[in-house]
Amino acid sequence: MTDRATFLGRIRAEIGTTLGLFTAAVTPRPSHPREIAETLRRELAERWRETLESFRVEFERVGGVYHRVATAAEAPDVIVGIAREREARTAIAWHPSALGTDWPETLTARGLATTMMPAGGVEAAEGQALRAVIAAADVGVTGVDLAVAETGSLVLLSGAGRPRSTSLLPPYHVAVFDRGALVESLSQVGVFLEAWHDGELAPWRGGAINVITGPSRTADIELTLTRGVHGPKEIHAVFVEGGLGG
Amino acid sequence: MSELSTPFRERAANALGDRFLQQALTIATTKFIDLRREAFEAFPEGEALRDRAREIKEATLQRLDHYLEQLIDNVERFGGRVHYADTAEDARRIILDIARRTGARLAVKSKSMATEEIDLNEALLHAGVTPVETDLGEYIIQLAHERPSHIIAPAIHKTKGQVAELFARELNRPVAADPEVLTRIARGALRQKFLEADLGITGANFAVASTGTVVLVTNEGNGRMVTSLPRVHVAVMGVEKVVPSMSDLVVFLAILAKSATGQKLSSYTTLVRGPRRAAELEGPEEFHLVLLDNGRVKQLAGTLREALSCLRCGACLNVCPVYRQIGGHAYGYTYPGPIGILLTAMLHGNGAVKDLAHASSLCGACMEACPVKIDIPRMLIELRKDNVEHAVAPGSERLVFRVFARLLTMPGLFRLAAPVARVLQRPFARDGAIRRLPLFFGEWTRSRDLPAVAGRTFSERWAELERESRS
Repeated sequence: MTDRATFLGRIRAEIGTTLGLFTAAVTPRPSHPREIAETLRRELAERWRETLESFRVEFERVGGVYHRVATAAEAPDVIVGIAREREARTAIAWHPSALGTDWPETLTARGLATTMMPAGGVEAAEGQALRAVIAAADVGVTGVDLAVAETGSLVLLSGAGRPRSTSLLPPYHVAVFDRGALVESLSQVGVFLEAWHDGELAPWRGGAINVITGPSRTADIELTLTRGVHGPKEIHAVFVEGGLGG
Repeated sequence: MSELSTPFRERAANALGDRFLQQALTIATTKFIDLRREAFEAFPEGEALRDRAREIKEATLQRLDHYLEQLIDNVERFGGRVHYADTAEDARRIILDIARRTGARLAVKSKSMATEEIDLNEALLHAGVTPVETDLGEYIIQLAHERPSHIIAPAIHKTKGQVAELFARELNRPVAADPEVLTRIARGALRQKFLEADLGITGANFAVASTGTVVLVTNEGNGRMVTSLPRVHVAVMGVEKVVPSMSDLVVFLAILAKSATGQKLSSYTTLVRGPRRAAELEGPEEFHLVLLDNGRVKQLAGTLREALSCLRCGACLNVCPVYRQIGGHAYGYTYPGPIGILLTAMLHGNGAVKDLAHASSLCGACMEACPVKIDIPRMLIELRKDNVEHAVAPGSERLVFRVFARLLTMPGLFRLAAPVARVLQRPFARDGAIRRLPLFFGEWTRSRDLPAVAGRTFSERWAELERESRS
């Protein structure tokens, strides 16, 4: 089998015989992406109301259901309400350290049996058991790292306390966020993607980032739009005006 | 590829005779065209971004070795393994080795043209690994033992009734012909597979060199399942899929879904980097990236270089007057449509497309629809030229054109040709059109009309006008 040197050598040789089609440059990258991302966050904080409104419009356009509460204390009622209307009985939720609140207990106390995801990796046997719980859950409760106004998307980083499948296996995904997550455009997402990959990866970080735009959908049978083919059939975003804390 | 035992002409004729296919193609492609148009109309910066995206692709190709090297280093730095496949055969062997070593019995796949290209499913089956396609459209055509007919809508040629029959046979029970019901059934069946599978196999819409990230774009969420649940993830990508950085990636994301389905973004854009990390509950224990050449590298300096910028969005299929009539299967290879002809030539050599190179009206709609403005017509002409130089056309056709070329160089004879043709066409011409010609000329009129030679030619009328103006 070909090795790296031979494989790349052949590519290099081919490139050596051509000048290419035209003069071209790649996109310049920010030299200090973390600082730029921080500056951007501060700028965005000044106009979060407009950004939130555009986000709401786009999020609803892609089939999301938008909710708004004044304080974090009101959010569990919204989540329990969503579950009750859909006769959903069980939920899984990001670990409080990732979510910024200790809702799992509150949710369970109010009648939605909620399993908290572990704060980190676990032994194989426990992982198997948890997978069964996740696969059987009706509702997945997560936080949001970015809420993108241009596209109505939610960006979620995987990692400690925030397993990938929380927003994937349950038929109902409820994501809670506050103004700190709001960005305006895809190109701003690009800045954060650069910042998130700058330097050493924080120990809590996982290997996956998902940009979620509406519910799981397909039009593969006679172009009939159908929701919830593999992932959630409904996606809810709960905006907490007073902030999530944590 | 059993389709190839029949010549293209026959495959196309079969497709043209299939009324349902015709209808399905018209509805699907028209809908995709409208959605795409609306998406770009609502996105004024789209035009400039298309040029940006094309420039990034070109700049990447000019230093492809450099960016691949970065990609490889980063994948390895995060605990992934990189494999190098010169050919489809190599790629299959690499993946089978991984399957064997990890004791995999069940593989779930998210939609990937690259794995179609290397005929992976058959190889897996032979090796005792059951491959399950998890994109709903791909799942349907896998049950039907067919190939995708459209890059992004693989089963557009199937009715819901046909899908219900396939599911009923698979499940051994009657199934209602309702897309909603059928989708729910597929969800249940495939959910089980996701949870049981040992191996997750994907392509890559992009791979980011500066981070070692593989990017998958799906609407159903199967790309997420396949990269989260099985204990081994193998991603297969053509070498041209690498993009330098996240800053470049977002440029492509901004135009890809708009071109494909008219969405601003597909439901899920999934970025995965290496195997599961220590802090994580889920994710594969092993991550493998297979870099695939399979004819691509020699086009870096070849006539098909531009085709290496293709994003596989399918926009050129929808607007192509030929694709809209015959659909994907008639092309006979993995990649259909205008771009498919070029990719087929890239993968299988120019000889494979001697008929297909002519399956285009050269109208240019494909180039206009292409998010990165690939000049497909130009390359189709190159392929035709190559075919002419290698004398692929039948002797009769070449003779006719040689006589015609000669005629054009001799004005005296050329002037004579019109009156002669007017006499000769008499038995065949009616209402200004020739609908059927004898002998091998009949090929020309088999599926189209030839305008009859005019009662008076342009030069005759010109001469007349000149006389009139003088008098």
